[in-house]
Amino acid sequence: MTDRIAPGPVLEFEGVGKSFGGIRALHGVDLAVREGELVALIGPSGSGKSTLLRCANRLAEPDVGTVRFEGREAPRGGAALARVRRRMGMVFQAFNLYPHLTALENVALAPRRAAGRSARGARRTAVEALERVGLGDRLDARPDQLSGGQQQRVAIARALALSPRILLLDEPTSALDPELVGSVLGVIRSLADDGVAMLIATHELAFAREAADRIVFLDEGRMVEAGPPEEILERPRTERLRTFLKRL
Amino acid sequence: MSELFETFLNPAVMGESAGLLLRGLVVTVELSLLVVPAGLALGACVAVAQALAPPWLERVVSLGVDLVRAFPPLVLLVLVVHGLPFAGIELPALVGVAVALTLNTASYYGEILRAGIAGVSAGQWEAARSSGLGTTSILRFVILPQGVRKVLPDLVGNTLEAVKLTALASVVALPDLLRMARIAQGVHFNPSPLILAAALYLALLWPLARFVRRLGASKAAPDFARSRR
Amino acid sequence: MEIFFDREALALAWPAVRSGIAVTLQLALASIAAGVALGFALAVARALGGRWLRFATPAIVAYADAFRAIPPLVLLVVIYFAAPFAGLELSGFLASFAALVLVLGASAEEIFWAGITAVDRGQWEAALSTGLSRRTTLFRVILPQAVLLTVPPLTNRAIATGKNTALASVVAVPEVLNQATSIQAQTASPAPLLLAAGVYVALFLPLVRIGRWLETRAPTGGPAPAEGPP
Repeated sequence: MTDRIAPGPVLEFEGVGKSFGGIRALHGVDLAVREGELVALIGPSGSGKSTLLRCANRLAEPDVGTVRFEGREAPRGGAALARVRRRMGMVFQAFNLYPHLTALENVALAPRRAAGRSARGARRTAVEALERVGLGDRLDARPDQLSGGQQQRVAIARALALSPRILLLDEPTSALDPELVGSVLGVIRSLADDGVAMLIATHELAFAREAADRIVFLDEGRMVEAGPPEEILERPRTERLRTFLKRL
Repeated sequence: MSELFETFLNPAVMGESAGLLLRGLVVTVELSLLVVPAGLALGACVAVAQALAPPWLERVVSLGVDLVRAFPPLVLLVLVVHGLPFAGIELPALVGVAVALTLNTASYYGEILRAGIAGVSAGQWEAARSSGLGTTSILRFVILPQGVRKVLPDLVGNTLEAVKLTALASVVALPDLLRMARIAQGVHFNPSPLILAAALYLALLWPLARFVRRLGASKAAPDFARSRR
Repeated sequence: MEIFFDREALALAWPAVRSGIAVTLQLALASIAAGVALGFALAVARALGGRWLRFATPAIVAYADAFRAIPPLVLLVVIYFAAPFAGLELSGFLASFAALVLVLGASAEEIFWAGITAVDRGQWEAALSTGLSRRTTLFRVILPQAVLLTVPPLTNRAIATGKNTALASVVAVPEVLNQATSIQAQTASPAPLLLAAGVYVALFLPLVRIGRWLETRAPTGGPAPAEGPP
């Protein structure tokens, strides 16, 4: 997509594995996301996409392996981890907006309370972020007054407010009615054009083909194939990927 | 340290008062075995009456229930035990206590069962009626079994409260566990019997409290709010 | 019938019962405020975790179970009659206050904890992912949503605490019931008792009605919507 000078990896997974209650969700995943790059994670549900995203900002703590952010191993807890998390935005399948706060307050909370900006500065940041996702006119709406697509755009604005180096998106359109998917993908695409690095778990193959620099296919917690979209989608090398693509 | 031990956990005093306390424990258990079934039965009557009554009567019943609830249980107890004799009604102490505690606990059982019955869907009534069952049979075989299951944790929780209430009997000189412990404490001029009685109450009721927590635990979900570090 | 509304006995009882109302209210309000605060603090400690608090969690759970298991009167009697043997002379009022606070604190902790865990875990994830600390997440995101859920059960426990102030009569605190029973002993008439009963109804019936109303309009946790027989 965009050619940059020495695009070092923003986010790197090295041999990352994770089990939940005896069930292996991830097996030794190696993956790097470079600056300005959009990497799409595809795979059946339960293949470990969500877990991998959560390992990136340690909402889930990997059992083995290393996660590096900007070349350094991400701290495991405390204020240092919070600082790293501020520089990684995350967008969830279920939006997870704070229902008791307005759109503006949802977005302004972290700039104010995590980054310690002034009330006015946090507000300005939040307004800019909401304008960027096309919701500059819904600042005072509460989540239950917004459509699903609008809610997800507020959630994206919340993730963008602290100018993250990378966005982690966990199936951002899976909970949306079909007619609302387009607006959210449009916002994501425009962010990609601005050079925001992204790691996105998605079932929207058409979107992945067109917007992603690379596609990674996960199955049963393993990275099965990875490569440019046309290679992965047109010339799958493994039986598992072929079966997966056929079923969709 | 050993002085504290001698004072509060004096083995000699505990040994000597154990017999007395056990007799008190028997009274506490007897009282519980009276109050819990009677309270449940009366509560079930109230709940069923509310389910079947016309709206105005339902409001009257619920006001009556709230009236009973407005009394501190000890006040209700003192009223029944010390007040009724003035009206010419002389009840044995055990019966008076049981009546007062039953009234109190039934007001809670009744409300819980009412909520349980109300939670069974109208379709169940329709289905049962369409198969030709009478109201009593519908309640007994269709509605109550489902309603009770829905509110089981609350029923068990209220049973815990009912047993706890029995300690009030000591105030009107019924020889229950607490009363016996007070007597033993007076005789030996030592608090060990009180500590022993408290331990007996805990031995009796702690498992029930744990059980209530377990029943409620299915509702309380994620581990995420808990410590991860 | 006149024996129940003996004017003389009532005239004698009223000043005493009236002073008892003040004591009942003081004991009730102080115990409720302190008990709710204790429960809140414990639930917050349990939710925040942290190194030393990991060991506190089992202790908090054990405290909550034990003090929901023990009858309040037993606790009061132990505190009032056993404490002096440890050289701790508590007034009846303070002993009652301590017992009521410990009992309410246990219930309140469980209620706040249930409210905290009822909030979707996605809310924690979302807030932590933006770099908010656990503490800020708890206070700015989770608790504002949780507290609404806790209002109906907390109201009911607060009412129960208010009613339990009558137990203080056992340790000679001159509250409503204690005043009434001592006048009753003087007059050999049930009128003072009935007066006290009337006072309790006047104090608590409105609160019980409010508690019922709160419970029926609660979003969750209250009784299911009425769908009775058709």
